Amino acid sequence: MMAALALAAPVEAAPAAVRVVSQTVGTDELLLALAAPGQIAALSPLARDPDFCAAADDARSYPSIAANGDAESVLKFNPTLVLCADYSRAELVTQLKRAGTRVIVFDRYFTLADSYANLRLLGHELGREERAEHIIGECENRVAALEARLLHVRPVRVIAPSTFGVIPGAQTTFQDLCEHAGAENLAWTLGHIKGHGPQPSEAMLTWPVDFIVVGGTDLESALAPFRTLPPYAFMPAIKSNRAVLLPAALLSCVSHLRVEGYEIMARELHPEAFK
Amino acid sequence: MNFLDIIDATVPGRLGNVSLGLPGGKLVGLVGPNGAGKSTLLRVAAGLLPSGGSVAWNGRPLPGISALERARCAAWVPQEAHFEFGFSVRSVVAQGRYAHGDDDSGVEEALVRFGLSALAERPVNHLSGGEKERVLLARAIVTEAPLQLWDEPLAPLDPRHRLEVLVLARELAQKGSTVFLSLHDLSLASSLDLLAVLSSTHLRAIGSPAEILTPELLLEVFGVRASEAPGLNFELP
Amino acid sequence: MRIFHSGKILPARSIRFALPALIILLGALVLAALATGDMPLSAGRLLAGLRREDAIAATIVWQMRLPRILSAILVGAALSSAGLVMQAYFRNSLANPGLLGVSSGGAAGAVFAIAAGWASVSLWFLPLAAVVGALAATLGVLVLARRGASTERLLLAGVALNALLGAVTSYILSRHIGLYERNAQILFWLIGGLEDRTWEHVIIALPIVAAGLLLLPLARSMDLMSLGVSEAQSLGVDVRRVRRQMLALATVLTAVATAIAGAVGFVGLVVPHILRLLVGPEHRRLVPLSLVGGAVFVLACDTAGRMAGGIQLGIITSVIGAPFFLWLLRRLP
Repeated sequence: MMAALALAAPVEAAPAAVRVVSQTVGTDELLLALAAPGQIAALSPLARDPDFCAAADDARSYPSIAANGDAESVLKFNPTLVLCADYSRAELVTQLKRAGTRVIVFDRYFTLADSYANLRLLGHELGREERAEHIIGECENRVAALEARLLHVRPVRVIAPSTFGVIPGAQTTFQDLCEHAGAENLAWTLGHIKGHGPQPSEAMLTWPVDFIVVGGTDLESALAPFRTLPPYAFMPAIKSNRAVLLPAALLSCVSHLRVEGYEIMARELHPEAFK
Repeated sequence: MNFLDIIDATVPGRLGNVSLGLPGGKLVGLVGPNGAGKSTLLRVAAGLLPSGGSVAWNGRPLPGISALERARCAAWVPQEAHFEFGFSVRSVVAQGRYAHGDDDSGVEEALVRFGLSALAERPVNHLSGGEKERVLLARAIVTEAPLQLWDEPLAPLDPRHRLEVLVLARELAQKGSTVFLSLHDLSLASSLDLLAVLSSTHLRAIGSPAEILTPELLLEVFGVRASEAPGLNFELP
Repeated sequence: MRIFHSGKILPARSIRFALPALIILLGALVLAALATGDMPLSAGRLLAGLRREDAIAATIVWQMRLPRILSAILVGAALSSAGLVMQAYFRNSLANPGLLGVSSGGAAGAVFAIAAGWASVSLWFLPLAAVVGALAATLGVLVLARRGASTERLLLAGVALNALLGAVTSYILSRHIGLYERNAQILFWLIGGLEDRTWEHVIIALPIVAAGLLLLPLARSMDLMSLGVSEAQSLGVDVRRVRRQMLALATVLTAVATAIAGAVGFVGLVVPHILRLLVGPEHRRLVPLSLVGGAVFVLACDTAGRMAGGIQLGIITSVIGAPFFLWLLRRLP
């Protein structure tokens, strides 16, 4: 199933002449994984920020477009293809199309299957279908292996706290992580929250939270804001330091790199399955 | 045909069943204690405030007269004018010609008459109270409206300018206009043709000043006793 | 800076040069704006682009820079003249176009469209949602204030509606905290900017031309209206009709400008105020000067923002607005 809207004139040049600008972090990760050297013209403004981009290290050697820039700031890199998402500014997308550039707008990126479809689509554009299949195959293997290990484990009950009164429930990347890492997202099963919803601070105190999942580079500094913030400050899980640390970018990853997140979380929650 | 006919004008809380008729060529004063309804009556007469009864100018009921024609028929000077923007004195006076197609006719003469020539280019919001009042009066004159309705025009003026305004009003009346003005200083009443007395939103009496200003009325309406004591009489040199 | 005793800063004989001078300044700014952008284009390429001889330059000049320049001109003319009208209507030189809820209504409509995802479907939806929101808000104010509304009632109704719409906008924002990108779009709109304006935006903004032209015959009445409703009426102005026209024109101007540029602030306050200081309060001069002066102001701010590396228009106008108010404070006795 086509996972994106492809627009404007078809590419006529050979793959090596493809120059791509990626406008969002999700497409940065796709591009960095698939592109041949010389195919990447520029990445999104957040590409080098490890809090947002799971491939931040690889992104360092490429230029970034200006934050909140207009169509000219993209076109000055002379792209033949621009990658956007459905939340990119409509006017920007229109202007790029009108300049005769091929634009692909990705609008499905929620599940792993969506990520595979996006890989295939972009792989076809870049003439790197083999690489796409290779990556997909690798991911499928890892996911299958993970599934096998977690076959008989009891799901660990977790939540992903935030400092601004909202927690992720069903239909979020966090839910996807939980489902693949042997975890139960209490925000959904007990809180019935869909998407990012307001946290039921009082009810949460009664939830049997086994582990807190936080993002960052250092566990203590990631936990610090929650130690004094209600209701987390009163939770046994916080007090006894029952926390899992994931790189921040993996907590909200919409590309295939989320598999890395699955593995890290699974290891932390079910160490016994990895002996 | 009266220049002004008011029948049964009522504004809840401010005016109760006031009826009066003013002929042309008269200088008419409107007196009464504070809160009696003088400003309200003048607004009703100017067609600026809807009242229960009817108002007619020269026999023509107000609703039938267009906005521009009304401005040519009657001029109104408010009790207080707040000027937010700094229009020059000359341009404020010239605004009186709006209903005459914005021509300049009579503007310079009015400026001279009211001693405003030196102030002509000054922004009007930088003037003193008395100077502003003279600007408003000049604007009213410039409209050439036969019915002049002035709300307390003399109050901010110094003795000389008060007399000059009264002299001008007398000239207008002699030329056939009717000037209806409210005032507080009863000692000026003798220079007027007619006097209307308002008391607690009702018309108490209307007639010549000599008839009206009896000691009984003064006590009843104003709560004061009057005596003819020797005092200062002002005149223009 | 001498203030002549007439209250204007410019001497009388220079005033009639104000409009031609502004028009020339506008022309110069248009040229400067054409030459500004992320893609460095030499004068030769610019010319080739204008003549459509160079494909890339032609796209950039005709599809990107020109629509943006025209949008800036129309938005500036609209906001500035709407501010002038509001100042005459409310007899207060601190009145601004947003008093009666137009801007916050436009913001609510736009934020709603962004959050609902309509904005990504077609680029007509966002401006249209903003216009609908703006007009609905003004209608709301008029209904709240009731028929024959006095100035005070209108002002209070405007305050109430602004508060309500601000709450709606904040609520929508709060529901989308988790969606970083959508929030960024909403914030972009709330700050106000002209990035990536297209010819569609210019078309949507065309009513501004008509509304601006319709203001010219009202100018003389606006002089009298600024004295007060009763005074204006006694001098011959059909105040009910004129007030309706002033309100309608100010609303349309602000709604359309907000729809294509977001919630840009201060233009309607700063420009008419400065012009009034320079040439005096006569509206027959101020109306055309506000239209051109507003265009100059917004185009200059937008171009300056682009030269500084891409700072949004709303930020630049706010940066100018703040010291302007401080300067006003110093001038008061």
